[in-house]
Amino acid sequence: MAHQTSSDPNVFILPDLGEGVHEAELIKWRVSVGDSVAEHDILAEMETDKALVEVPSPRDGVIAVLHGSEGEILNVGNPLITYEGGAAAAPAPAPAQATATPSPSDNGSAATATEEREDAGTVVGSLSATPGVSGSSGKALATPAVRRLARDLGVDIDNVRGTGLAGRVTEKDVRAAGSGSQPAPSAQPAQRIAPAPAAQAEAPAHVQHVVAEEVENAALAVKVASGGVPAPPPAMAGDKTVPFRGTRRTIAGRLRQSIDTAVHFTVMDEAEISSLDKVRKQVQAASGESVSYLPFVVSAVCRAMKRFPTLNATVNDEAQEIRQHAGVNMGIATDTEHGLSVPVIPNADTLGLLEVARHIADLARMTRERSIPRDRLMGSTFTISNVGSYAGRFATPVINYPEVAILAVGRAREGVVADNGAIRVGKLLPLSLACDHRVVDGAEAARCLAFVVELLQAPESLLTPARA
Amino acid sequence: MPTKVAYQAKINYIQILNEQGKLDEKLSRGGLKDNDVIRLYEMMSLCRHYDEIAFKLQRSGRMGTYPQNKGQEAIGAVALAAQPDDWLVPCYRENTALFLHGLPMEHILLHWMGDERGNQIPDGVNVTPISIPIGTHMLHAAGIAWAQKLQGNDTAVFTFFGDGATSEGDFHEAMNFATVLKVPAVFICQNNKWAISTPGSKQSAAETFAQKGLAYGAHTIQIDGNDIFAVYKAAKDARAKALKDGKPTLIETLTYRLGDHTTADDARRYRDNAEVEEWLDRDPLIRTRKYLESKGLWDDAKQEAFDEDAKAKVSQIVKNAEGIAKPTTNDIFDYTYETLPEDLKRQRDTMKTHSLGINPQQETLRSPTGAASRV
Repeated sequence: MAHQTSSDPNVFILPDLGEGVHEAELIKWRVSVGDSVAEHDILAEMETDKALVEVPSPRDGVIAVLHGSEGEILNVGNPLITYEGGAAAAPAPAPAQATATPSPSDNGSAATATEEREDAGTVVGSLSATPGVSGSSGKALATPAVRRLARDLGVDIDNVRGTGLAGRVTEKDVRAAGSGSQPAPSAQPAQRIAPAPAAQAEAPAHVQHVVAEEVENAALAVKVASGGVPAPPPAMAGDKTVPFRGTRRTIAGRLRQSIDTAVHFTVMDEAEISSLDKVRKQVQAASGESVSYLPFVVSAVCRAMKRFPTLNATVNDEAQEIRQHAGVNMGIATDTEHGLSVPVIPNADTLGLLEVARHIADLARMTRERSIPRDRLMGSTFTISNVGSYAGRFATPVINYPEVAILAVGRAREGVVADNGAIRVGKLLPLSLACDHRVVDGAEAARCLAFVVELLQAPESLLTPARA
Repeated sequence: MPTKVAYQAKINYIQILNEQGKLDEKLSRGGLKDNDVIRLYEMMSLCRHYDEIAFKLQRSGRMGTYPQNKGQEAIGAVALAAQPDDWLVPCYRENTALFLHGLPMEHILLHWMGDERGNQIPDGVNVTPISIPIGTHMLHAAGIAWAQKLQGNDTAVFTFFGDGATSEGDFHEAMNFATVLKVPAVFICQNNKWAISTPGSKQSAAETFAQKGLAYGAHTIQIDGNDIFAVYKAAKDARAKALKDGKPTLIETLTYRLGDHTTADDARRYRDNAEVEEWLDRDPLIRTRKYLESKGLWDDAKQEAFDEDAKAKVSQIVKNAEGIAKPTTNDIFDYTYETLPEDLKRQRDTMKTHSLGINPQQETLRSPTGAASRV
């Protein structure tokens, strides 16, 4: 496919960064306005649905405008960079013009451009950048099928703003224009397009098809309005719309799959960790390293997994198999600015407490820097979610499917402890263990959690590896 | 009845220049000379630059999809084993071999820019256009080799493909035709471990890809594909055998795709970094350079000057490719028929008028007023 270029040599149009890519998220600008760049210098990092890529400069120049801000989704075919010397000192209007009017400095190429176009007979039209403003001379770029649809719906295609490649007017654009720019979920479209029976009988086949589809959509809209999904609240000033995509979308898909597949239940308890806290401080003093509660919990869970192997398992629903794992690869659910991530400590049950602590620190750093190798983000057999480092006591965590269990660790707090008939103040660590009931019975989960609590209350045993 | 052995075979593996740049004197005898090694090394280095720039051309919208060759440059040694009249029938990761066999370097860029003139190979350069569909060209290679045989030419045909292509029916057909018809073809499977995201272990249950050649009665060998000496020797021996006894050879080269499959791929999603790191140490450029340096034929100063020069060269190649005049619609008609049939001639002559393809006389008959009427 021909690559896209702007008619203005000072405007760099965002190209298709892969194969059939229509948009990309701007992750990071690597240049600023005023920077001098050489051909092939990297301008930006962008993420397509397939890859994180670097976008190099197609030429030498000085950056005049950066079109877009980090985190924004940019469409292929719209301007990415304007170099100095360009007519467009201000951001060019989107979408890019397919066959833009040449600037006067093009020296008569306007005439030749038309004349020399070998595809003169096949080009359907060109798009006016600002429909309705630049006048009637602007002709929309669209396929014949879309033109026909526009005619059938009585839409003036030349006044439709195209959102397709290079500003092409798409079927969706025409339909949106036909139903008003903000199609509200109401029965109105059905009334609008449902033709009189006689007219429908006379309509050509494809029109009938279109009508049928619209009626279906309208029917759906009615259903939604009448109680399928509650209507969203009315728009408020200052609302922010965030695209539901990228990492967020991936996380959503995983959680959906877990909830749809695993049968969740959660058991909760608290461990009294006063003595653990003492041991922790001793370890810190002896090693000179900072050690949190988390490595102790990892160590306790690793031991519990030996006694309760049903929880250290993964389900293969397709093959109808449950695999109990010989070792523990501990997933640590980690909050990052890019969303939830579950880096893994492989064979955590073979590590001593300090090694676990170091692993956790390493994972946290690599996850933050996004430098974590791919193989450290997979293969966990059990996951711990350390929600307590923020706030909260108990939780009902969602299992990291295809695993069958997850432990949420709450915030340690001082609390009243009944101790052999006496009352004292101790330190309590809330624990919530969620399991997939298809695989783990309730009693089994409760016994496992009790064992973890027991281990955390006898912390000396947690300093050595769970498995030799 | 006692069991008899119906057939028994073994697959040899050769490496001549190891990862440390050390040469096996015995196996290298009669192989690449110093000048050849320098020539190869320079082309491999030049192609590494070319590869990087081609990648960036895609990312900045100046070119379509591009498959990086990085890591597989040693395949160029095949071109040195080939005679000028031999044919190379490539896949798309053999740039070094094609350029050494005479293909102007603009052509590959033009191809990926979507310009068919990239596939218009100059007369006298016996290279076929690169083949994107997997495996189809192996059949062409068998056919070309058959033609060479029928014409009594003393030329061989080298065809290249990846490990994934061996799972295509075309591979079977091509190997079968070539061996049954005893044609002078050499089949070179560049086993780079990954067919896009499919690892070799999921591609075939066989221990080697080379052994597939046995089934067709071909000679077969597995070599270190990042070793120019081994590539050269295997190609040269295979050529000699093919011309002598008409028995094709299947060569499996063990190499590695250091880059993504293409610019539309992100190998980090399915490949462990440790594996890539391991293969970075076996980079054919590194060991070839080590070898040259050990013989006093190369040094840092030479490399620096070479890199500078290579950048300028590649920059010029890009200019040439981007500077080519826009194609005209006449091209549609010019390259299929030697003599254009009448109806196509009419289409060509009328394509810019409203009565495309219509005989002007008929047009007059049908529409005496001269008004537009189209069929």
